[in-house]
Amino acid sequence: MNPDRLPSRPPARRRPPVLRLGPVALPVGPRSLLWCALTLAAVAGAAVATLALGDLGISPARIPAVVAGAGEGTEAFVFDRLRGPRLAVALGAGAALGLSGALFQSVTRNPLGSPDVIGLGAGAGAGAAFVALVLPGTVPVPLGALAGAFLAMLVVYTATGTGLRHPGRLIVAGIGVAAMAQAFTHFVVSVMARDQAGVLSAYINGSLNARSWEHAAIVWAAVSAAVPLLLYLSGPVAVNEMGDELADALGAAAGRTRTLAVVLSVLLSAAAVAVAGPIAFVALTAPQIARRLSGAPGPNLALSALVGALLLVAADLAVQHLPIGEGLPVGIFTLAFGGVYLGYLLVREWRKGVL
Amino acid sequence: MNPVLTAEGLTLGYGADPVVEGLDLTVSEGEFTVVVGPNGCGKSTLLKALGRVNRPVAGRVLLHGTDIRAQRAKAVARALALLPQSPVAPEGITVRALAARGRFPYHTLLRQWSPEDEAAVDRALELTGTAELADAHVGALSGGQRQRAWVAMVLAQDTGVVLLDEPTTYLDIAHQYELLELFAGLHRAGRTVVAVLHDLAQAARYATRLVLMHGGRVVADGSPGEVLTSERMGEVFGLACDVVPDPRTGTPLVIPHERS
Repeated sequence: MNPDRLPSRPPARRRPPVLRLGPVALPVGPRSLLWCALTLAAVAGAAVATLALGDLGISPARIPAVVAGAGEGTEAFVFDRLRGPRLAVALGAGAALGLSGALFQSVTRNPLGSPDVIGLGAGAGAGAAFVALVLPGTVPVPLGALAGAFLAMLVVYTATGTGLRHPGRLIVAGIGVAAMAQAFTHFVVSVMARDQAGVLSAYINGSLNARSWEHAAIVWAAVSAAVPLLLYLSGPVAVNEMGDELADALGAAAGRTRTLAVVLSVLLSAAAVAVAGPIAFVALTAPQIARRLSGAPGPNLALSALVGALLLVAADLAVQHLPIGEGLPVGIFTLAFGGVYLGYLLVREWRKGVL
Repeated sequence: MNPVLTAEGLTLGYGADPVVEGLDLTVSEGEFTVVVGPNGCGKSTLLKALGRVNRPVAGRVLLHGTDIRAQRAKAVARALALLPQSPVAPEGITVRALAARGRFPYHTLLRQWSPEDEAAVDRALELTGTAELADAHVGALSGGQRQRAWVAMVLAQDTGVVLLDEPTTYLDIAHQYELLELFAGLHRAGRTVVAVLHDLAQAARYATRLVLMHGGRVVADGSPGEVLTSERMGEVFGLACDVVPDPRTGTPLVIPHERS
């Protein structure tokens, strides 16, 4: 065809990207898929590094055999007792936090409406500390974390007077709730474990030190159980971003979607906090990074989970191998970097007139 | 005429002072109904109830003869679309992706995109003249373009009935008429359109039927010529005026008297 004869035609229309697998057809863009693959590769790289680096490192060539259970001597010990559970917890908790943040930010239609910003993580940490130190052995720690997270959520929800609608109020209420929750944690820890600075820090900031396979099982069970619900919610949650009236008009039941998403987000956060403490800012940053990578609107659930896992494993790798203090809880590291990002977001949202 | 949407004894709002009280209204197939009335008369509230967004305190809304609350939300959304006054465009969304959101009522858990979705979105972009803007970000569009993108989303829903809540607000006059012509085109193509409009001249020009509301009730219902009389303008809006025929279309035009 002579191109000169088609000067005013619109450019060839790009097809909307769709991921097809048998009967499944999901609207996932190639850019999202590419970044999912790249992030997954980076997660794998960080995981190998976690197992291989340092004095006790398992040689990368032996990792598949050791993971399969054919490890011997030191390498089996390092994998089973030290680094394997730690890595599995980091992956699971990172993914859970990424998903939790993606859901909450989508539902509140604001990046600052994140579980760690509004005091959910701190509440879960207080619940976990209370159950672990005051009632040891009677109530499972995850239940304590869950109760703490729901309680924090409830207080924030009622204290704002407008539910989850107004981001400015959410943050202010969240600061209050987080401060109260941390004060409570301080109190519990200093009464029950006054000599152990490491314990306090783990409950306040989150830590991956001395994790076991049981911890990994808890957080992975929560993430796996969430997957079908996430698949169900991904459509309604995306539609909900356009406002309640339109979501209702499209048959997406805005109120029910929001409730389900918030409950699932609280569950995922609580699971992560139960096994790793209130690690800050993974839930805030992972969905934001995922959005910028994929360039796609909506909650970007899969990519948020992968980025969350990558952030936490990479942060843990950094605290273990950078010369900044051995045994430093990973939460202090994420707090330092995430805090800078939170500052940036606050300034940006303030300039936009949202706050 | 086939009744499409019927309100029976509809009471809307909260508490002792409902916004709309005991309202009956039947919208027939192929009508372009425009609801007008003073601020706070309940016209937007009525439209939301017709669109299954507001739950009535009393009474019910029938869509094709069945209570709209007794039908599945997604089934209703395949027959009836509502464009609210201030929808929120998600950050970074393109026009095509926005239109694609209108396909939500057709999706199931595992099947969230199909060739029919594709065709419906293409048609909607074509009809609204937004095909060239398909890959543009909604946030970067002008007011008129953005509103056309929202209309594309509603049209992608592919429904026989379209409800529009003040769709021309905040637009300049050229864009207002551009949109009204678009709605008139949809009506000619067989869709049943119900719109809430503020501008009486526009309402009179495009409506096949005008519904005038005041204090939560319908005070006049009929052709624009029957509804817009100077007596009624006085009663409802407290406005002294003449009503003259539009020199181009012959539809009624309200000319207020100056206050001396």
